[in-house]
Parts: sequence; C-alpha cells; structure tokens
Amino acid sequence: MGDSLIRTVRRSIDRFTRATWALVVGTVSHILGSLVTLPCRVGQWLVALPGRIGAGLIGLPGRIWRWLVGARRVFVGTDPTPGEALVGLSSFVTIVGVGYTFLGPNELVVYPLVGFMLTVTVGWWTHQARVAKILTAVATVGTVLTVGFITYFLFQSAWPAVEAHGLALAALPQAPNGAVRWFFWLDAVLPVTGGETAWDPRSGVVSLLPAIWATVLVTIIAGLVAAPLGLAGALFIAEIASESVREIVKPAVEILAGIPSIVYGFIGFQVLNGFVQDAFLDAGASFFIAGAVVGLMALPTVVSVSEDALSSVPDSMSDGAIAMGATEWQTMKSISIPAAFSGISAAVILGLGRAIGETMAVAAIMSAGTGFARPLYDVFDQGVTLTSRIATSYGSASAGTIDVLFVAGVMLFVIVAAISVLAQYIERRMERKLTGER
Amino acid sequence: MSEAYVHDRETALVSDELGAYDRALDGAIAVAALNFVLGLATLVGALGPETSGVALTDVMLAVSAAGVGGVGLVAACAVLNVVEIPSRRIRGLGVGLVGGVILLTVFSTVPGVDMQTLMGVVLLFDGLAVGFAGIASRAGLVDTEPNASAGALAGLLFGAIGFVLGIALNGIVFGGTLPVVVVGTGLAVMLAAATVLPREDLGSTLPVALVVSLLGLVVASSVVDPGWSSIPAEPMNGGLTGSVVVSLFVMLGSLLAGWAAAKSRARYGARGRQYGSFLVIYLNAAMTVVVMVSIVAFVTVRGLDYTVHGFTIGALSGLVVLSPFLVAALAYARRPAGAADWHGGVRETVRVLPLAVVGAVAALLVSLVVRGEPFVHQFTYTIMENRQERTLETALTVTPELTVGTLVVATPSVVLFAYFFRKYGSLAGVGRTFDRQPTVQRALGGSVAATVVLAVVLLLGGSQPFGLGLGGTLGFGAVVITSAAACVLSLVAVSGLLAGNGSRARRARHNAQFVKVGLFGALGLLAGAVVLQPTTGTTPSIAGLDLLPASAILATVAGLSVAALATMARRATGTSDAEQRLTRRLLAEEIRLGLAGATGFVVLLAGHVATTDAPFSVAGLTLSDGGTLSWPMVLFSSIPLGAEPGGILPAVVGTVWIVVGASLFAIPLGVGAAVFLTEYAERGRFTALVEITTNALWSTPSVVFGLFGAAFLLPRLGDTPSLMAAMITLGFMLLPLVLITAREAIKSVPNEYRDASAALGVNKWETVRSVVLPAAVPGVITGVILGVGRIAGETAPLILVLGVGDAGQPVDVLGGFRLMASPPFVYNEALLEASKALPKQVWAVIAAGVSGSPSKGWSTALLLLTVVLSFYLIGILTRRHFRRKLDYE
Repeated sequence: MGDSLIRTVRRSIDRFTRATWALVVGTVSHILGSLVTLPCRVGQWLVALPGRIGAGLIGLPGRIWRWLVGARRVFVGTDPTPGEALVGLSSFVTIVGVGYTFLGPNELVVYPLVGFMLTVTVGWWTHQARVAKILTAVATVGTVLTVGFITYFLFQSAWPAVEAHGLALAALPQAPNGAVRWFFWLDAVLPVTGGETAWDPRSGVVSLLPAIWATVLVTIIAGLVAAPLGLAGALFIAEIASESVREIVKPAVEILAGIPSIVYGFIGFQVLNGFVQDAFLDAGASFFIAGAVVGLMALPTVVSVSEDALSSVPDSMSDGAIAMGATEWQTMKSISIPAAFSGISAAVILGLGRAIGETMAVAAIMSAGTGFARPLYDVFDQGVTLTSRIATSYGSASAGTIDVLFVAGVMLFVIVAAISVLAQYIERRMERKLTGER
Repeated sequence: MSEAYVHDRETALVSDELGAYDRALDGAIAVAALNFVLGLATLVGALGPETSGVALTDVMLAVSAAGVGGVGLVAACAVLNVVEIPSRRIRGLGVGLVGGVILLTVFSTVPGVDMQTLMGVVLLFDGLAVGFAGIASRAGLVDTEPNASAGALAGLLFGAIGFVLGIALNGIVFGGTLPVVVVGTGLAVMLAAATVLPREDLGSTLPVALVVSLLGLVVASSVVDPGWSSIPAEPMNGGLTGSVVVSLFVMLGSLLAGWAAAKSRARYGARGRQYGSFLVIYLNAAMTVVVMVSIVAFVTVRGLDYTVHGFTIGALSGLVVLSPFLVAALAYARRPAGAADWHGGVRETVRVLPLAVVGAVAALLVSLVVRGEPFVHQFTYTIMENRQERTLETALTVTPELTVGTLVVATPSVVLFAYFFRKYGSLAGVGRTFDRQPTVQRALGGSVAATVVLAVVLLLGGSQPFGLGLGGTLGFGAVVITSAAACVLSLVAVSGLLAGNGSRARRARHNAQFVKVGLFGALGLLAGAVVLQPTTGTTPSIAGLDLLPASAILATVAGLSVAALATMARRATGTSDAEQRLTRRLLAEEIRLGLAGATGFVVLLAGHVATTDAPFSVAGLTLSDGGTLSWPMVLFSSIPLGAEPGGILPAVVGTVWIVVGASLFAIPLGVGAAVFLTEYAERGRFTALVEITTNALWSTPSVVFGLFGAAFLLPRLGDTPSLMAAMITLGFMLLPLVLITAREAIKSVPNEYRDASAALGVNKWETVRSVVLPAAVPGVITGVILGVGRIAGETAPLILVLGVGDAGQPVDVLGGFRLMASPPFVYNEALLEASKALPKQVWAVIAAGVSGSPSKGWSTALLLLTVVLSFYLIGILTRRHFRRKLDYE
C-alpha cells in the first residue's frame, strides 16, 4: 500500500515535471528564436524597402493605367455601341462632377447630380445592363470612399489638437500630496498637468491619459466577463444543444446584442449603481459595474464569432474522435477547441474591440471623474473612458476642446480597426489551415 | 459533429442500477442547484440572508411548493406516458430536489435558523456527500472507472480558487494578521497538489469537499453576517459587505459541489468529466437566457404603467387593428397537420388556439358596440417627480365608438395588401384574352400617368396655374372620370365571375383576364385620383356623397365579392383530376387577387381622407383623420410639468424618419456594392481589401461615426446639427452591415443557377436581376432588418449630429418640401432642423441626473426596446421562415 502510493506520487510528479518542462522549453525557445531572427527580419525589410518603394513608383503608371482600363471596362465596356458609349461617358463625367462639387463648391452639387440621374434614367430604358453595372460600381466606389473619408476627416480634425498640445495630451495628473504617482517611469517622460485633475479645458488641461486607463480597466473587466461565458455559450450552441434548444438560445443571445446600449446604460444608472452602493459600500458609479455591463454587451459578439469558428471545424475531425470512443467532452476539449482556437481568440479580440468602443452604457453609468482611479486598480472608483469623454463633453465643448475629442476618436478608430484587421487575419489563417490551401 | 452520433447521448444517460451512492449524489446535485439559485437571489437582494423564523418558513414553503409542483407535474406526465423521460439521472434529480426542499423546509422551522444558516448547512451537506463519494470510490465500495489523476486543468483551477480563498479567509477568520501572499500561495499549492496527485476519484472530490465544507462552515456559523464589512487596506472606493460575501460563497460552493457530484455520479473517467463540464455549460446557457429575459421583463415592468397611461381606443379601431392578426392566425392554423397520434391532437389544438383568441377578442369588441357601454380598467401607480413620490390614477378604456382614424386603417391595410399581393402569383395567359386587351391595358397605364402628371402640374403651380382654372375644370373632370371608370372596372371584374355559361369555376377561369385588368385598372386609376384630388382644390360629390371615397367603397365591395365568388367556385370544384386541381389553383390566385384589391382600395380610401381632411361615413362607420385611438405617451407632444404624464411624439417621429432616411441611403448603396463585388469584379486584391475595410468599418465604435458626421457632414449641411446629418451618419453605420450580409446572401446562391441562366443565352445583368437577386432577397432582407434594429437604438452619434430639437412639435418632413427656382431646387426645412429621437430621450433623462423623471425614462426605454426588439424578432422569424423553406425545397 505504502509502496504503491509512493510510486504513484513519484510517477505523477515525474510526468507533471516533464510536461511542464517541455512547455517551458518550447515557449522559451520559440520566443528566443523569434527574438534572434527579429533583427535579421527587420534588416531584410529595411534593405528591401527602397527597392519596394522604387518598384511601387515604377509600377505606379502601370497601375493607374490598369485602373483606367478597369474604369473604362465598367463605364463603356470593351466594344461599345455609340449609344452605350454616350451613356457611359455621360455618367462618368457627371458622377466625377458630383464627387468634385460635393467636396468643393458644395452648393453646385445639384447640377451634376441631376445630370447623372437623367443619364441613368434614360440609360435604364436604352442600355439597362450597362447602367446597372455602372450603378453597382458607383456604389462600390462610394463605399470605399466612405472609409477613406472617415480616416481622412478624423485625422484632419484631430491634427490641430496634436499640434497645439503635443505631449500635454498625455500629461499625468498629480496626487493630492503634490507628487506625481504610479506610472513608475512614465512620469520621467511625460509632462505633468500641475494639478490633481486631468480634464479641465478652461484652464488648458486636456490630458487623455486617465481616459485611456479607464478604457483599459473597463475592457479588462468586460473581457473577464465575456470571454469565459462567451466560450461556454458558443460550445453549448455549436456542440451540445439540440436543434430545438438552439432555436431558443441563439435568438436569445442575438436579442441580448440587440438591446440598445442606452437601455443597458439606463438600467445601470437607475438600478445597478444603487446596488453597488448597498452591496459594495461604493460611493456610486464604478468601473466594476460599467465593466460588467459592457462585458454582457460584448458577450454576443464572442458567442457568435466563436460559434462560427467551432462550427467550421470539419465534422470528419470530431467524428474521428467519436469513432475512437472518445466522449463528446473529450472531443470538444481535445479536437474542436484546439482546432478552432485561433477563431475563438479572434472572437475574444473582437469582443474586446466592442467593449473598447462601447459608449452610452459607460457614459450613463459613470459620467464623472477627471483623474486616475486611486489606487490604479481600484475597480470601485469611477472615471471617464475615451468614448464617454467624447459623448459627455462634446455638447459643451469649445472648438479647441472638440479637436482634443477628435484625438480620442482617432485613437478609438485606429485601435478598433487594428483589432478588427488582426481578428480577420487570425480567422483567415485558421480557415486556410482547416480547409487546406486551395 | 454529425447528427448520426447524437443518439449516443441519450443512451449514455440511462443506467440500470440505482444504488444509495447514485441517489445521494443526485440529491447533492439537485440541492446544489437549488442553493445556487438561493445564493443568486440573495446577491440581487430578493432574499435577505438574515431572514428567519416565520418569514423564512414562508419562503421555503413557497420554494418547496414550486419544486414539488414542477417535479410533480413532470412526474405525472411521465407516469401517464405523455412525455418520455428515459434518463434515470433526470428522475434522480427530480426526486433529490423534492426530498431536498422538503427537508430544508422542515429545517427552516427550527427556531434560530436563518437563511444564511440554511445555505451554509446545504453547503456542508454537499461537501460531505462529495467527500464520502470520493472515499467510497477509492475504497472500492462502488464500481467506478477513474483516471490516474484529475488533470492539470482541474489542478490549475483549484490552485486559483485556493489562492483567492486563502486571501479571503485570511481577511475573514484571522483578521488579516498573516501575510496575504503566504496564506494565499500556501492554500493554492495545497489544493493543487491535493487535486493533481491522488487518483481522480479522490483528486476531484476531496479538495472540493474541503473547500465547500469550509465555505459552508463560514456561512453557517455566521462568521460573516450581513453586518460584516471589509474595506481593503489601501483605501479604495468600495469594499465587500457581508451579504455579498455570503451569496458569493454560496454560489461558488454550490457550483463546485455540483460539478464534483456530477463527476462522481457518472463514475469519474471520461464520462464523469463530461457530465461535470456539461452541467456547468448548461448552467451558463440557462443563465444567458435568464439574463436576457429578465432585462426585457424588468424594463417592461418598470415602464408599462406610465406607457399605457390614459390609453383609449374605439371598438372599431380595435377590430381594424385585429385584422392582420386574424390573417396571421388563419395562416398559422392552415399549416399542414401532423400525424394522427396523441401529439397530433395537442398540435392541432395549438394550431387553432391563436384563431380562437382572435375570435374571442373580436367578439368582445363587438359586444361592446352592441351594449353601447365602454370597457374601463382603472388602476393607480406611483411615479417619482422632483424626488417626491406621486400617485397617479388612470384607466385603460375601450369605447364603443364606430369611428376609426386614417393611420389606424392604413397601417393594417398596407400590411395586408403587401401580404396578399406577395401571395398572389400571376394570372398571365389564363382564360381568353378579350379584344384589344393590350390596347386597353396601355390606355389604363397612360391615363394613370396623365393623372399623376396633372397632379404634379397642379402641385407646382397651385390649383390655378398661369391664371387658368385648370384645377376646377380639368382636374375636377379628371377626378370624376377616373372615379367613375374605376367603379366600372371593378364591376367588370365582378361580372367576369358572373357572366358566361358553364359552371362558376369555368366562368371564373375563362374570364380571368377581366378580373385581373378590372381590379388592377381600378386600383391604378383610383390611386391617380387620390393623388390628384387634393391638388385640384375641389371635391366632386353626388347628392352629398363624395364621389371618390364612394367609388373606393364600391371597389372594395367588388374586390371582396370577387374573393367570395371565387371561394364559392373553388369549393364547388373537386380534386379528382389534374384539370380540376389546376382550376383550384387558379381560383386561389383569384381569391388572393380579390383580397389584395379590397385591401388596396381601403388603403386608398384612408389616403383620400388623410389628404383631404374630410371624414367619410358609410352605414354608421366613420373614417376620420382624428380617430378614436388616444395614447398620450406615444401620440402626444410634450406636456408641461404637472399635467398628465407622457408626450414623446417628436421623439417617435424623429426615430422613424432617421431609420427611414438611413435605410434609403444605405440599402441601395450596400446592395449595389455587394452585387458589383460578387458578380462583376474579379476576385483579387481589390475585393479582399474592400472586405477587410468593411469588416473594420462594421466594428468601428458608433461614437466615431458621430465624430465623422460632425466633421464631414455638418459643414456641408448648413453647419448645424440636423435630422439629415443624423440620417446619413446612421446610414454610414448601416452600410457595412448591409454590404456584408448582402454579399453573403449573393455568394450563397448556387453557381448552378447562374450557369443555367447563362446556358439559356441570358446576359449577365438579366441573370443577376431575375435569378441571383430574387434568390438572395431573403438573406438581404434579414440582414437589413437586423441592421436597422441596431441603428434604431443607436445613441452616441445622435448626441453629436442630431441636436436638441423641439419637444412640443414633431418634425414635419412631408410638409417641409419646398421647390425653388435656384439651386438646390428642392429644399426641406424640416430635414435641416434638429429633432428628438427615442434613444436621445432616454439619455436626456440620465443627463438630467436627479431632476430627471425616471418613470418617463423607463417608459421611453420600454418603447425603444419594443421598437428595436420588434425589428430583431421580425428579422429572426424571417430568417427561420426562409431557412425552413430552403431546407424543405
């Protein structure tokens, strides 16, 4: 009895150590490997850069030419009849005119617009196929231009604030006793607001740093709520639930996504803030409640995206596991989740993106706070996030302050867009891995 | 996983022997679940942990009544073989639950026992049960199949739990005298080791038993009671109170105990792990649904009284509103019946139930009219006003009035018209074509166009353009002639079913073209006349009866007669041979055509009354602009303080216009771009780039769209926040969603469709228009509806681009159009004004802080939720409908 126990213990410890060791060695060697190759890769990229720019420049005329050929193919086609060419040319000229006048002399936009509409109306009777193609192409270009305009106008409106304030946009507020606190080495780099508050536009204090920290805090709490619950929900919907139960749970999750954020915010404002005062001895609004509510709002995103990832794991893989005698849970744990892991992480990342961009719920629950949470991890303090800073300050802001709000908007836009692109990259890689290169 | 393997689950849940071990563990799982619910109720404040004595017994009696009732009904059904419950585990859980609640109720009568003790004792019991189960298994008393270890995952989990518990216990039991990290880490290592090192049956039970019993002791011994509180050493803005700690401990303990008991119940090993984790996953799914339902229910309960304050409706209006429900209930009841077994009977009852309900409500409304007495339901409720509670008295009223408003008539009629028209397929080529049919059809189209042109001329130039009395002469004449012609045409349609020889069905089929041309011609002509009449400034009438509405009524009757005659003909037709079945199908088309015509004429009638403001009565029923529906919250503009509650009409109207404008902007653009990207563009870097950017645009925060609207649109739209800017900004938000869903839908149209069309020599655009788009429409519609639901509740962009708006006056977009001689020619003041919107109205209550009216906020939130969730519900139902259709095709 004693011997066997000791042997069991020894074997367990042995196995455990070996597994841990393998894990540690694997991770470290992976990191070291990428660290070692990093300079090489950067160097490679740098060396190749002039060539690539040159190639781009040389290829530019060709590319423009290709674009023009493409535009010609859309607007007049390869072998146009005179009428078709007329319709195509006329619509091209007028739509370019619409674009130009809309951005420039705004009051003249009606003339080319009426011209375009006339062309299209007449063309619809005479050359329907051509006009349809032109219209869909115009819609596409319009959509792409929207993205371009959003980027351009956000940056353009934010630039004056960056010019005017510079690093003061990330100034550190002081603690009550006058010392700059917390951000260990940051206080050596960043300027100091000179007071306890970080947001007082009238006296020129417009630091966004506390808002960034508040966003981080809310996002972390939201992620802690949304990621595990979302994964479990996705597992339930994708793998466990029967058809009829899925028909109930899936719409329920969708409806959870459909409830407007202002309604979540109103419930938080009216009910949860009171609850947190009673139950957590809090003074009122808190990151805790805001983060929990935002986590609930990000939950549907996590559920639906990871459910897609789990469902895209080929049936043959899990069927194989079942055929080997594995239980469903073993199949999920060892086949489905690992295979869909990158998709699930994309889901969590997208959920975090949703949490970062959530505005009204946060603004309704916490609307005050001009400094950092004290101490930094105090989830019962309140503060203004980047989004709620925009929503609550915009109405009463002067022109200069509005520019600062645009800086916040640019940050949100860039971060969330990067998150979205990253998630799409991960998803695509997973898809390629699962379906094989085709 | 393939569906073929799903049956495996059912059989896995049946086990033959049921010993004391199994019974005890089933009981442990059941009471753990119960305890979890009790802990949750304590956390949200529904139950106080200090509840004791009679109050506690009452609560427990209610709980046990619910438990016994629920389990009892299921058991009765199972015994009667109405429902099948093959799983012994579920039976065991039911028995365990009943036994548990009864024992707990008995225990609650012991003096000095409070809720907290009760929950603690349950935890102790659970801990002991799990511990004994583990020991019994290790000692070989029961037949189990454990693995060598509980696994690293469980070890990590218990390490984390141990760390947190160590810190908590350090604070609670020792008063924080020991170093936090040492206690936490020590307990973590201990628990992790105790989990990982022994065989699985001990590893997954003993640590649980330890932790759960410890939690149970802490809770039961009132070390932590509601008066207890803890504030962290470094002053934070909050801390923990006793009731929160107690409920969190109870919930954590129940979860752990439930998991371990489930694992033991399924004999450890692979099956045990599956049962344990499935229990947790099921719990999570159930909680999600519960949270969703409770949010909606909570908002409803808080907002309903205020929302329906002073709601009054006339009986006839009620009947009119009921009509779409009648059609929906009929369509539901007409679904094919199931098999003729016992379930079939239930299903049939369920199928006709909605129809019966509609009939009952209609009969009640009619009885009101017959008795001439109003139905009044009085109730009172309290609101907070200036931080004072105030009790308001109000009533729901149904009056026996036979007057109905235009909007109340028009909305259901438009819905019904759309429904019937969509159901109607085609009657092309049926029966004989009469002489010069194409000429007649062309002439009808031409005269409708001429009427509309005349209306536009009169609209632009007034009723007397260039000093000529065109309105009084030409317009008058045109209205008279078109109305009369519409009468004649509708009568032609009816006579088509009556004239000729042979059976009624044969006549109906033979003269189908008359019916078609007659009804559609009359609809077109009357529509033209309705547009024309208000611009002429005259009202042609005969003997005091207005000509236009009279002919509309006549045409409605004609449409209904067509439907009735065709129905009679259809009943008389057998189903014996193919010819008869074909006739039946054609007659069904004629019935739908008749009904579509009738509802269309009603819409035109309502349009006439709305545009001319002249009420129209026939046979005691009145159609007027005012109507008998009174709903202060939705239909009134803001009422000054101190008066009755309500008045958010400007916000409702604003939201409607914003949604309409955004959809008009985004849907054509998005669908067009989707068609181009999928059908025309070559797949390459460009399409990939567009895909990535649209996806990125879809997740862009709404407030960023607001900033973009403020920077890009406002300078181009008169530099002030306006309705138009809000429409376009939300249109930008809607655009990526429409594009993505439309692309998905178009992509999912099988390539065989396109190939087949191309093989017939059809060109690309014709293929897209008549093959690809119709097949993709359901997907596009679903996406659009869900997207519109999302933007309807969007608030943040509106704060930036919509402005404040007038609370006393809804925006008048339709009446705001002005034509000018100089650019931009068409000008609409209302579109360039600020407006109210539902979501912003809720935000206004929040922004007003303590001086805001919470009741109004709840009520507005309820209305907003209703609007948004109706979009979602319709979207989800449409998707299901179309998916089913696709599955069965």
